[in-house]
Amino acid sequence: MAKKYPETKILSRNFGVENSWTLDVARERGAYKSLEKALEEMTPDQLIEEVKTSRVRGRGGAGFPTGVKWGFVPKENDKPKYLVLNADESEPGTFKDRYLMELDPHLVLEGCLLCAYACGLSTIYIYVRGEYPLSIERLEGAIEEARKAGFIGKKVLGKKGFDVECYVHPGAGAYICGEETGMLESLEGKRGHPRIKPPFPAVEGAFGCPTVINNVETLAHVPWIVEHGGQAFADQGIQPDPDNPKALGSSGTKLMGVSGPVKNPGVWEFEFGITVKELIYDYAGGPLDGREVKAVIPGGLSMPVLTADELDVKMGFDDLVKVGSGLGTGTAIVMDDSCDMVEACENIAHFFADESCGQCTPCREGCHWMEKIFARIKGGEGTPADLDLLERLFINIEGRTICALADAAVWPLRSIIRKFRHEFLAKMPGTDAADGEDPKAAEAETVGAK
Amino acid sequence: MADKVSTIFINGTEYPFKEGQTVIQVCHENGIDVPHYCYHPGLSIAGNCRICMVEVEGNPQPQISCKMQCAPPPWVSEPLKIQTESEVAEEGRSGVMEMLLVNHPLDCPICDQAGECHLQDYSYEHGGGKASTSTAKTKLPKNVPFGEKIVYDAERCIKCTLCVRFCQEVTETNELDLGGRGDEEIVIMTSKGEFETPYAMNIIDICPVGALTSKDFRFKSRLWFMDFAPSIDTSSAKGVNITTGGREGEFLRIEPRYNPGVNQWWMSDEGRLGYKFVNSPTRVKAPLVRGENGELAEALWHNAIDAAGTALRASPGDVLVDGGCTLEEMALAQELASAMGAKAKFAAATGEGDDWLITEEKGANAKGGEMLGLARAKRASAAAVLMIERDEHVNASMREKAGAVVVFALDMEQVPDSAQVVFPMPSWAEREGLLVNIDGLVQAMERNQGIGPGNLTPPVELLEELIGEFDDAYEWRGREGVIESIRAMKAFEGVPFPGDTATAEVGA
Repeated sequence: MAKKYPETKILSRNFGVENSWTLDVARERGAYKSLEKALEEMTPDQLIEEVKTSRVRGRGGAGFPTGVKWGFVPKENDKPKYLVLNADESEPGTFKDRYLMELDPHLVLEGCLLCAYACGLSTIYIYVRGEYPLSIERLEGAIEEARKAGFIGKKVLGKKGFDVECYVHPGAGAYICGEETGMLESLEGKRGHPRIKPPFPAVEGAFGCPTVINNVETLAHVPWIVEHGGQAFADQGIQPDPDNPKALGSSGTKLMGVSGPVKNPGVWEFEFGITVKELIYDYAGGPLDGREVKAVIPGGLSMPVLTADELDVKMGFDDLVKVGSGLGTGTAIVMDDSCDMVEACENIAHFFADESCGQCTPCREGCHWMEKIFARIKGGEGTPADLDLLERLFINIEGRTICALADAAVWPLRSIIRKFRHEFLAKMPGTDAADGEDPKAAEAETVGAK
Repeated sequence: MADKVSTIFINGTEYPFKEGQTVIQVCHENGIDVPHYCYHPGLSIAGNCRICMVEVEGNPQPQISCKMQCAPPPWVSEPLKIQTESEVAEEGRSGVMEMLLVNHPLDCPICDQAGECHLQDYSYEHGGGKASTSTAKTKLPKNVPFGEKIVYDAERCIKCTLCVRFCQEVTETNELDLGGRGDEEIVIMTSKGEFETPYAMNIIDICPVGALTSKDFRFKSRLWFMDFAPSIDTSSAKGVNITTGGREGEFLRIEPRYNPGVNQWWMSDEGRLGYKFVNSPTRVKAPLVRGENGELAEALWHNAIDAAGTALRASPGDVLVDGGCTLEEMALAQELASAMGAKAKFAAATGEGDDWLITEEKGANAKGGEMLGLARAKRASAAAVLMIERDEHVNASMREKAGAVVVFALDMEQVPDSAQVVFPMPSWAEREGLLVNIDGLVQAMERNQGIGPGNLTPPVELLEELIGEFDDAYEWRGREGVIESIRAMKAFEGVPFPGDTATAEVGA
């Protein structure tokens, strides 16, 4: 099939270039030009305005407008202020930030420095997933080079009053430390327990000081926004829906990836607008020979699943919400017809049960309980009542905890048991589905019997 | 900008709130029951147990009331409307209850907490009453020693982190933290083997379930068989408010009682475990009179009083009382002494203290003695009457060298050879009376019927009898009358007594 949708090269412009992670190569290709421009021509407030104009939204999963987030940092505050770059890319199926950190660490650093300039931050902590040794090595190398070149340290590029330090902090493998406040606790040397909010990190974050927390990809966009203007960024992608104040649009480009049983898994950069189907069939090569796509989770693991019939939706923040899913990290996980959805659920539940920090009752007890129920169904000991029990657990887990890990556990599971109910019934002895009758009819019967 | 909202509707009634107050605080202040595990008014907000959920009008999800501010967001000009008993709130709580019990061992029949367990109480009120799970429960460590005095059971633990926060925020000694993750999360000790803080056992009280139990009290008694009474810790002079617990004569437990001006919710381990001497097998249980054969023998109360009168008339002298004696006892000791033409003194030990609840002064009523004008006995000196409760106050040397003929003693070991008449001294848990703490706060203790040999005539009555032996015109006043005369003294002018308003706040 011909590729219908063009790739764009903003974030990924240096991918594939030899030694792209070294300062010399990066500078040849324009690195730190935006920083020089911002320091010479723009005030911090102008920079924040430019980012607001760009309508760039956080690429870590929640999609919060970045410029607005920057604006929350209190100006009149004597405490030091920090940037914590969330590079703890531990969402299953997600590997976009890794490309940026390994192949273009100077772009990431430049984005961080621009953020530090805009928000008056004195220290940058890059919290990198511990399982990314090459990212850590390349970032540390880049920091060293940037410090020698005067981009990091006292008086960056000779700018009076702009002093920035930068440190890499490797994580130790906990999923929960990718949650922003869990990450702050971990950074401070404590247990990665998400904090109860308020106070929000912008007011009281790392070490009790105002802190900006952004995703790697989000900040990597900022140099381009500075170079070309926020409007040029906002003009790309999907525009906001004037009738829906919640639909803020999906401006600019996004690194999108596909993993799972497809012919050509990988990461590409697109202007927002490509559909899930185009992404999977045109770029990821579609399912393996003789297989069919059964379900897709469009962003990481933490979003509701889409069936093969629902893939004609654009990869965008608001578009995916409209069909009951979400963009998440923008990296799709494909499941084909060889995938047993009951086993998939057990696997998903196991992941979240294992990664639940244990702080809040519903998540600590509930995630493991769900895993046990799925294991029971898989083992042929489930009953249709188990599906009702699961639905009740979803209600009691979702939105009832300090952080969003519990929601992330519920969303994929709930969507799978609703959309693939017949597969669950087929494993339950005594149900018509298990006796080999038409699954759809069996499903209707069970639902009706409720 | 609209005017600042200063009220909140709870279950349809409007209540005022102070700035910064949370919903659960206002509910509790107004007698509205909201269950809670991880919330403690003396500790930071953790918000992890989720049982305190209430319905907030306009929000489909129930919200935790421990973290929720009464003040609405700045852009809202209407007071918040909260429902604590609505379907949304109840459904939320029963969901949490169900989760809490999924891996709970449900071993209430052998759990010390049974009877005062919030998990039991709320399960009864908010639980479903029916188990929806048939899967195996998670196995976690049991019978884990936390130092010498505390035992931890991770299966019963609901990970509310009250104990962890107590060690972080109140004592600032950080002995506890969490280990593991998910449903295998447990509380662990970070220090080697023992608590640094002398207040560690408070975590047993604040533990809402039976996860932390006292080695001292474990498996001793079911709570519903015990008698409880409000009292004062007499191991030091801070006047820590406590509740004594006993059963059929045996002193079993001391727990702190909330007093914002003195000890808040806490007490020292020393005070908590300082009751053992009360259960001594050699307690004096009846009056004793030295017979012609030179041996002490049990006597009837009125015979003993007669004998004491005779002995004292033969050799009158000073009265030396224990620094833990009540204000009433000390005042009467003073009257008895002056009836004999002598003086009353008190003896109280001193020891190590800290800047919190353990005072260097160990006499629980030493301050009261001073206010009454009793001198403090520093070394052994002659006395005709001794009142001894704790060994350390009227110490062995004082007892032997006083040459006292009438002795009030708790334990036979305390009785000196010189004693002609011995009266049983009830322990503080068995007496009622007033104590003045080191800050001058007058507090009352009540008698616990379940502790001690019972049938012991209160020392106040005996002292009045003895005064009557010297003064035919003496009119019985009873404890109330004695308190009246104490209040009339100059030293007690303007001093609030229990029952007066706002006593509890004095000494804060």
